[in-house]
Amino acid sequence: MDTLLRRLRHELFASKVDGLITLVLLGLIGAGGAGFLRWALGQAQWAVVRANSTLFALGRYPIEQQWRLWLLTALLAVATGITWGMLRSHPRPDRVGVLWPRNDRIAAVLLALLALGLPLALGLSGAVQLRWWGITALLLLWRWLAGRFGPGLPPLLKRLLPLGLPLLYLLGMVLIHGGLGLSPVSSSEWGGLMLTLLEASFAILLCFPLGVLLALGRRSELPLLRWGSVLYIEFIRGAPLITLLFLGQNMLGFLLPGGMAPERVWRAAWVLTLFAAAYLAEAVRSGLAAVPRGQLEAARSLGMSLPQAFASVVLPQALRVALPSMVGQFISLLQDTTLLSLIGLMELLGTARTVMANPAFLGRNAEVYFTLAVLFWCCCAALGLGSRALERRLDPAALARSG
Amino acid sequence: MSPTSSRSPAPTTGSGDLMIEARGVEKWYPNGFHALRGCDLTVQRGEVVVIMGPSGSGKSTFIRTFNALEDFQKGSITVDGIALTNDLRQIDAIRREVGMVFQQFNLFPHLTVLDNLCLAPVLVRKRPKAEVKEQAMALLRRVGIAEQASKFPGQLSGGQQQRVAIARALCMEPRILLFDEPTSALDPEMVREVLDVMLSLAAEHITMVVVTHEVKFARQVASRVVLMAEGEVVEVADPETFFTNPSQERSRRFLDQIL
Amino acid sequence: MPLPSPQSSTSAGPAGPAGQELVPWWRDRRVLPWLVQGGVGLSVLVVVAFLLANLIRNLTAAGLLLSWNWLGQPAGFDIAETLLPFQASDPYWRGLLAGLVNTLRVVLTGLVGSTLIGTLLGMASFSGNGLLRGLTRVYVEVVRNIPLLLQLVFWYFVVFLALPNGRAALQLPGVVLAKSGLYLAGFGAAGWIGPQLVNGVWQAPLRFSVEFAALLTGLIAYSSAFIAEVVRGGIAAVAKGQWEAASSLGLSWFQTLRQVVLPQALRVIVPGLNTQYISLAKNSSLAVAVGFTDLYSVAETTLNQTGRAVEVVLLLLGTYLALDLLISLLMNGLNRLVQIRER
Repeated sequence: MDTLLRRLRHELFASKVDGLITLVLLGLIGAGGAGFLRWALGQAQWAVVRANSTLFALGRYPIEQQWRLWLLTALLAVATGITWGMLRSHPRPDRVGVLWPRNDRIAAVLLALLALGLPLALGLSGAVQLRWWGITALLLLWRWLAGRFGPGLPPLLKRLLPLGLPLLYLLGMVLIHGGLGLSPVSSSEWGGLMLTLLEASFAILLCFPLGVLLALGRRSELPLLRWGSVLYIEFIRGAPLITLLFLGQNMLGFLLPGGMAPERVWRAAWVLTLFAAAYLAEAVRSGLAAVPRGQLEAARSLGMSLPQAFASVVLPQALRVALPSMVGQFISLLQDTTLLSLIGLMELLGTARTVMANPAFLGRNAEVYFTLAVLFWCCCAALGLGSRALERRLDPAALARSG
Repeated sequence: MSPTSSRSPAPTTGSGDLMIEARGVEKWYPNGFHALRGCDLTVQRGEVVVIMGPSGSGKSTFIRTFNALEDFQKGSITVDGIALTNDLRQIDAIRREVGMVFQQFNLFPHLTVLDNLCLAPVLVRKRPKAEVKEQAMALLRRVGIAEQASKFPGQLSGGQQQRVAIARALCMEPRILLFDEPTSALDPEMVREVLDVMLSLAAEHITMVVVTHEVKFARQVASRVVLMAEGEVVEVADPETFFTNPSQERSRRFLDQIL
Repeated sequence: MPLPSPQSSTSAGPAGPAGQELVPWWRDRRVLPWLVQGGVGLSVLVVVAFLLANLIRNLTAAGLLLSWNWLGQPAGFDIAETLLPFQASDPYWRGLLAGLVNTLRVVLTGLVGSTLIGTLLGMASFSGNGLLRGLTRVYVEVVRNIPLLLQLVFWYFVVFLALPNGRAALQLPGVVLAKSGLYLAGFGAAGWIGPQLVNGVWQAPLRFSVEFAALLTGLIAYSSAFIAEVVRGGIAAVAKGQWEAASSLGLSWFQTLRQVVLPQALRVIVPGLNTQYISLAKNSSLAVAVGFTDLYSVAETTLNQTGRAVEVVLLLLGTYLALDLLISLLMNGLNRLVQIRER
């Protein structure tokens, strides 16, 4: 207690100037906090968020087909639980026998609180709330199952398990889009958080291989590949995303034979992908530059072919170095999906605009934008946290310490 | 400009015992620097050839041409009967037969010691993982670091890393080992442990070409010592002659500097 | 023991390959690189040719083949706020130019503002005051994890459009911020004039629209967080011994920073600033979301009216690329200056 006081004094009141700064800042924080609380608890009318929560989540997805999205959410929860559990049960000398390490306990409790509190705060109906509880329970149950029994699975099954994720993604596409016996839902009816996540995940998944290829091209000794990659990367990075989206919406119809141009949602997804690939390539390039030349030489001197050497020696090291900046790019990609609202897509921000155009909710900008900001902030901060955890996990130095 | 030794010419017929035959190898770097000026060298099976010379004399460049890590513009190189041409299949074949140990170890930092050894035999020779693992452990025992098998390279000392690197090269079962200044990056107290491993390899009559400054090692095990300077092979002699009575003026000057 | 026969070195120039015998071309390492490049080049060429052929066919069918004559036709739309006098009867090119001037205005003021605030924030993150450090951290983390577009609409719709008009407007000496705009004091016909209320309407020598003010605020708030990180990284890159050496000489915290650390940190900061300035220039195109008429906004209207997609997109991309290039050139010059001063 005494040391805490001393530290506080050292940090906040080291000198007269420091003390003055501290007092002014405290005053500002107090005034700001009080003003915010007055607004959030008094003036703000949160009905606009409550009444439109489904719209924000799904857009105008037909009500009778929404069970498909519930199913998809449940499947995602199961997949998340299994991935989480398997990652944790991965043999690590410092975690032997710990099924729920401290961070996992915190995460689980937070998740449970969120599942309990959020539906109540949004005033969801009892049935919907029950579903959310079920989905959360499903996630935690599979986390436990995978953590408990995952290590005992046969090695072949463990090796095949990651293949389930791309399969789930394709299945999700089918569930959203329709087909295979499900009635199709036009992409113009997709919206809200679902569309945001769909566009972002599509672009993230596809820009990754493209970006790696571009980075390899940019560092290639073959002049045509090098200059081709440089041209593409610099052109894309020089143009504002909105002009590229504009190009995609207005020129793609001219560039492809009649009728071959994809729907607006997919045009935007492809533009986002091609856009993000150029930025990702630069992140990967910096990772490649960090791998000493001797690594490639050692691999080659052992008889590995160039593709073998890159796949098992150079790229694993380069991608680990590039991981923080790659996740940074993914975070900005997620944020960039808001630009789709400017070309008329109904992702989160676009949905917000339609909601606020509704006469019943006119002028409720602050509530809606604040909610979206919190949502985006949480997603982006979570991605950042996850990246830092993964970074630590993959760092050979850290592995060395724990070994 | 033509350095000659008083020795008689070697038999150049393709006997099965001729492991490396380099004839008139010339190399220019893209910036025009003439790195190798007509270098010749033959290495017989079971020989340990030590290459010495001042820095920048082209020693490393020369042995790196043997497994095509450096290309060359003129001359010819034949390794274990395989001509080093522009044929990628030949290059791959040679690289499989020639192991290399680098000055900076160049271990793969993202893999454990054991995986460093197993990677290439499994990928390149397509051998079953279990069998390779067994062999790798045997090799690690032989270089004296079996207990470190599951550690990462970054956790090992320089000497240990270099011993792992030697084991990694051996795990491909090469017919020739090239050493590119294997002890130059080591702290002095670790040089011994690496040289001991190399001595034991020499005792087993493994064909080795070693670029090094270790005079004691050269005296102890070298079949022949090669002196290179300014991209040329100045002198080739047995170690006794080389260190006591070199025939070339440049050899004498070099020995004056290092002894 | 057989011994080698050293041979005389030849003195010919670099010529002739190492291998004499014939090598099958598909395994020849001299041929293969060209084969790979030829393959990639050819496939890119085929794709581009396919797209271009479609473009020409479709444009011909639509009667929109590449032409720039429409630039001279009257635009038929107005631009609310512009330095360049513009009215609906003026030609399109003049409208686009007015848009460009507006973009440049935002970018220039944004650069100055975000550099000032960003540098202060970056310096504050090294302050001895824990509260100040913490707040800077919070600011950066909040701003960087919320989409810029969301921040812009927030500033415009929530903050600036909620401002009162008339007497209730925010008033500081020489500055008035109202829903109708931002009013600044300046030199008028009768010397130095401050903002005045005339018949319930503010008037001043300098007036900016509320759209411009909201856009600028949003851009500066966003960019300064990133610039703060650049500055912080630059300062962190300066060796710790420099701080200790300076304070052992009796320099204060601010003097140390100003005289010793920042000059060295600039070496790291300037390249990072280049990146941030370019993204600020590109981000200014989001002006369309708050109703400020910049280059992109004029281009969008132009396209909607003329249907000239190819020409408008080319103009847009070309202009932004030129703007980026200009910033890069200037920053590279600055970079050279900073590096030389080191010596």
